[in-house]
Amino acid sequence: MNKLDKTTIICRCEEISCEEVEEVISNGGRTFDDVKRITRCGMGPCQAKICTSMVAEIIHQQTGLSPSEIPLPRMRMPLSPIKLETLATNSTSFSAVKSVLDEVELEEGKVR
Amino acid sequence: MKTDVLIIGGGPAGLSAAIETASRGLDVTIVDEASKLGGQLNQQTQALRPLPSVHEPMRGFELADKLIEQVKGFNVRPLLNHRVVGFYADGSAGITDEENVFPVKAKKIIVASGAAEKAVAFPKWTLPGIMTIGAAQTLINRDFVMPGREAVIVGSSDFAMETAIQLMDVGIRVKAIIEKQNGALAKEQEKVSELSRNGIPFYFNSFIREARGNGQVAQIDIELPDEVITLNVDLICMDGGRAPILDVFYQLGCSFGFQEELGGWVPQYSNTFQTDREDVFIAGNAAGISTQGPLLLTGMIAGISVSEELQAISPAEANEIRDAIWKELGLLECKEVYTGRVKHLENFTSPVLKDQFIS
Repeated sequence: MNKLDKTTIICRCEEISCEEVEEVISNGGRTFDDVKRITRCGMGPCQAKICTSMVAEIIHQQTGLSPSEIPLPRMRMPLSPIKLETLATNSTSFSAVKSVLDEVELEEGKVR
Repeated sequence: MKTDVLIIGGGPAGLSAAIETASRGLDVTIVDEASKLGGQLNQQTQALRPLPSVHEPMRGFELADKLIEQVKGFNVRPLLNHRVVGFYADGSAGITDEENVFPVKAKKIIVASGAAEKAVAFPKWTLPGIMTIGAAQTLINRDFVMPGREAVIVGSSDFAMETAIQLMDVGIRVKAIIEKQNGALAKEQEKVSELSRNGIPFYFNSFIREARGNGQVAQIDIELPDEVITLNVDLICMDGGRAPILDVFYQLGCSFGFQEELGGWVPQYSNTFQTDREDVFIAGNAAGISTQGPLLLTGMIAGISVSEELQAISPAEANEIRDAIWKELGLLECKEVYTGRVKHLENFTSPVLKDQFIS
């Protein structure tokens, strides 16, 4: 990777700088989702499509973790931005929104 | 809506999978977010080689037209300007036409979601005028727009060299090619020599230190091994390589492995191009970055495997055709990528990321 100064933007949607990403790593962050939860990196319109590889590269450089040790970020529905109006269709034959709760599987009433 | 085969992505791999399945009498639906089938082929004016033996040599957009024409003869329903937003609990795909979201229930799904270009970060890389090489190619060949007048290219892959030549062809002055390695990465040496013959300097072991400009890139500093030079440019095309687009596989709960030669994280699949989800198959750049010819072959293998599962073809016949296509793939595909692919197949039963959906 090129030399980045502290102000170099990594997530252009949320304007997260290299310094902010590095700070999360120096506090123990090791995955894209760690960086995302603390900084909002990857939470803009592109949904982490551009910054994923850059953040992985910074994690690699700062920690020495190999690329295969840096897992993929969580990719949630909807896969790209969509109007709420579009999502909430009138259909009654299926649930219009697959919520985060639908992803949780229960076993004897408890999250598996 | 119900269909036998749902193909996500209408590029070269998706179309060749559609031809294999639809020509055997299956009902096929292709969903693509663009307004035209053919994917990235539509803006590729360069001659494609090598192509599988069933095709004569041709340019990208010609291949797109040929595949689209072939598909028209079969029972294929293209859903253009549609995209997949997620999946329902019963496995049907949630597809939107931007007005409504509706479920499509398919017996088998072939995901040919393609690849995305990776950007290259450097200070002020978000200034207008700085874009990926693919974006520059699209502007020139599809939209007939000049993205700038004086350009530098960051990277020296075959794709970067091809685009550099296309920029020159439309009258853009290419001022330099900047490569951080110590030599050009392109395999087709003739493109590199063509650029050198035209007097374009290659700066090796070099990178962009900083871009400057007020609302638009105007100047860059390039750090060479022993000095820093400044160039006035209004276009920077960056080639950070490509990586498979994975979000659909992630939503489907497929497992992933890491294979550098295929572009990094890749869904895990077997030699029939079936993922570890029995009803989900994979094709094209999503199964590992390659060139157009091999991509067609991966689409064909996925199509044959789906036809076999849906009993449109006997297992014996499917095996025979698949073996022949694998042989051709071995001949056509760049050796590194093919070796990476074979290594990736071996890891099918031991993926690095599995059941990542519930954590």
